[in-house]
Amino acid sequence: MADRLYVTSLLLGTVLLAHAGEPAFDEYQVKAAYLYNFAKFVEWPQSTFANSNDPIGICIVGQNPFGSTLEVMVKGKKIGDRAFVVWRLRDTQQVSKCQILFIGAADQKRIRAWLEALKGADILTVGETEDFTAAGGIIGFRLEGTRVRIQVALETAEHTRLRISSRLLGLAEIVTKQQPIVP
Amino acid sequence: MSGFRGADKRDMSSSSRRATEKDRSVFLTRMRISVLLSLSFPIFSPAQVSTPSDLTKLDLEDLMNVQVTSVSKREEKVSAAGAAIYVINQEDIRRSGATNIPDLLRMVPGVHVAQMNAHTWAISIRGFTDKYGDKVLVMIDGRSVYTPLTSGVNWDQQDVPLEDIDRIEVIRGPGGTVWGANAVNGVINIITKSAKATPGVLISAGAGSQEGVQGLAQYGGQIGRTGAYRVFADYANLGDSPAPAGETVADGWHKAHVGFRSDWELTPRDALTIQGDLFQSREGQTIDTLLINEFPREAILDDTITVGAGNVLGRWDHTLSNGSGTSLQVYYDGYDRVDRGVGEIRNTVDVDFEHHLTLGARNNMVWGGGYRVTSDDVTPGYAVRYMPAKRTDSLFSTFVQDEIRLTRTLWLTLGTKLEHNSYTGFEYEPSAQLVWNLTTRQTLWASASRAIRQPARADFNILADVAIVPLDNGGFGVVELTGNPNRKAERLYDFEVGYRAQATQRLSLDLATFSSHYYGLQTDELGTPFITTDPGPVHLVIPVIFGDNAHAHNYGAEAFVTWSVGHRWKISPGYSFLQMHVAGDRISQDPAAGEIANESPKHQFQIRSFLNLTRRLEWDTAVYQVGRLTDGGDGSTPGYTRLDSRLGWHAGESVEFSIVGQNLLSPAHAEYHDAFAILHTLVERSVFCKATWHF
Repeated sequence: MADRLYVTSLLLGTVLLAHAGEPAFDEYQVKAAYLYNFAKFVEWPQSTFANSNDPIGICIVGQNPFGSTLEVMVKGKKIGDRAFVVWRLRDTQQVSKCQILFIGAADQKRIRAWLEALKGADILTVGETEDFTAAGGIIGFRLEGTRVRIQVALETAEHTRLRISSRLLGLAEIVTKQQPIVP
Repeated sequence: MSGFRGADKRDMSSSSRRATEKDRSVFLTRMRISVLLSLSFPIFSPAQVSTPSDLTKLDLEDLMNVQVTSVSKREEKVSAAGAAIYVINQEDIRRSGATNIPDLLRMVPGVHVAQMNAHTWAISIRGFTDKYGDKVLVMIDGRSVYTPLTSGVNWDQQDVPLEDIDRIEVIRGPGGTVWGANAVNGVINIITKSAKATPGVLISAGAGSQEGVQGLAQYGGQIGRTGAYRVFADYANLGDSPAPAGETVADGWHKAHVGFRSDWELTPRDALTIQGDLFQSREGQTIDTLLINEFPREAILDDTITVGAGNVLGRWDHTLSNGSGTSLQVYYDGYDRVDRGVGEIRNTVDVDFEHHLTLGARNNMVWGGGYRVTSDDVTPGYAVRYMPAKRTDSLFSTFVQDEIRLTRTLWLTLGTKLEHNSYTGFEYEPSAQLVWNLTTRQTLWASASRAIRQPARADFNILADVAIVPLDNGGFGVVELTGNPNRKAERLYDFEVGYRAQATQRLSLDLATFSSHYYGLQTDELGTPFITTDPGPVHLVIPVIFGDNAHAHNYGAEAFVTWSVGHRWKISPGYSFLQMHVAGDRISQDPAAGEIANESPKHQFQIRSFLNLTRRLEWDTAVYQVGRLTDGGDGSTPGYTRLDSRLGWHAGESVEFSIVGQNLLSPAHAEYHDAFAILHTLVERSVFCKATWHF
């Protein structure tokens, strides 16, 4: 009996393997691709860059869940004349070189304090915790089943000089900062 | 490495579990759709996208439809570490069917778990298995549970409801730079969930052939807008096990545990955790012991271990205005344990401080300091005494570690611990780790470190009468193991190289190799016999005094693979190899100095399978093959294969039933031999049913 169950499960596994054609990526590979993509749909004020070919800084603050995925992914990529540079920071002291700034869920306890420090700065803050936008972040990743979706706190973004393209906004769920935190 | 120190609260696995649940329904729906539309109507065709860097070619719209898998969660989290780290997550715990922490540790390659009786385990990492496995540091939420009396861990008094464990991080190899003394061969960090992650009522109850009954009742709620708490009570009652000769031995176990944890977000910059436990346990064991008060009598008797323990811990995480973070942790831990008649009352207070900061563009630094004071009062047992009976020891420690970015993909971590203990004075534990991210999917790392094992109270102060020797003149002699106040710290110089790869989206590989050189390991040296009348009658004492005159060179490798065969089936095979060479130094007279090498298996193989039969039905199986322990004087233990299997059924959103069979391949087997006067029992085939209700 157990043998037959085992054989059945083996067969089932094979069938599944055959059907599982659609490649699935790691959560952080997809999130890294989003971070890269955001650079195409956000405009920073002129004063952000001194030169037209200054790189776009993507910063990971606190623990880095990406490994080197992000670095490798943006290597050699350009948007206009701008290349990318990835910085890993332990805290928010040196954020002047960041245009996009990601805070992972591992640093949950410090998110509010860091976002407080970044308030009004022309930095696209991106996070992945449930209350990230409520805590003052601009873009929050959300897992919907096996897909990564985004939320944008438009009000927070409007307090900066960033311009987020309507195409990005059209695809995102717009949330208000005051939205109650899901318990 | 400091990032793994237990302060971070990422509840990764619960989000991944949510993802998998939906995953199944999404998958089924998609199958139906694809059958209906016979694949001519693809929702999203990512055929051209097969590598991560291709992802950047996708539009935002496409990106939103990319499937993510949680296959590599574990690897991602540890991918930046220059050490051999294995993370047991909540899903691993739930699907293992294990009812205790030692059984969970079996899944970690390189860890040897040998059960001695219902409540006693000898657990080691990379060799030196012993009931008092003295080279592995174990911590629960930052609280050390390594006992300073005998060294090693009393696993029977470490009770954490498995439902409340967020993860167990097992580091193979030295961790002295961050964790300090005794993190020689490895560190086991047991980290519980934040109270915010456990709202509502949780009731779990189980019964089984060996486990008897066990139950957990827990309630989690909110305090105001910013606080959360949980309180719980659990109880377990285990039956007796068979002895090798077939008779039943009274090694049954009753334990009861109440505890709480509360987490507060005091301000946006301040988070506070306060937690505590009260634990009581009563365990049987059969021992073959001398009786000091009735010399020269030796007796086999049923002994009772009793434990009363309690602890309270507070941790305050503060974010400074420059964004850097500090963490202050204070705990009290006390217990009263009676084991083989030896009564140990111990009180420990510990304060730890840590500061993480960025220096310049390339340096991530963490530094910290700590102070611990522990005092005990030990009363004599049947054959073991401590002289003096009371002792207070303190430990000062400080460490600094810097992670330096050399290039885009090359990281160097340098650090050292400096500490002062009451036994051997100043000790230092430096380490260097190099991490090279070859590609997004591959990491190569190497490390060199020095670690120490600080002598335990027993190394200095124990008097243990272990054998009676009849003398020609009609009298008798007593062989007495004698502590040596001149013992030094054991030193390890360790070199490791490891490789991690995410070969495809579904297949990941982790390989670690090590070469470890130990100095100052324990030997038993013959002292000068003397005649005494205390305790009477008049007899000859043959002292065997602890020395530190052995050295060792061990090497080995551990490898494991995680393979998601399909959306519903994941398998994870693992293998570990260990070669130990232990020998006495030239000055040592101990003929058995090398025999500790016989206590650990050379080969261990395992394979775990996780299969989702339907959306609600899970079938999980684990096979562990553990090599033979050769005869080191206590008898040999044959190799064995252990098969555990679990069938789990999600009856609804909040109810789960499972039936677990353990050791299914044989009626009973031994995993270890008699040791420290304790007669071992066999691990039986057993069946266990459990229901969990969460609302």
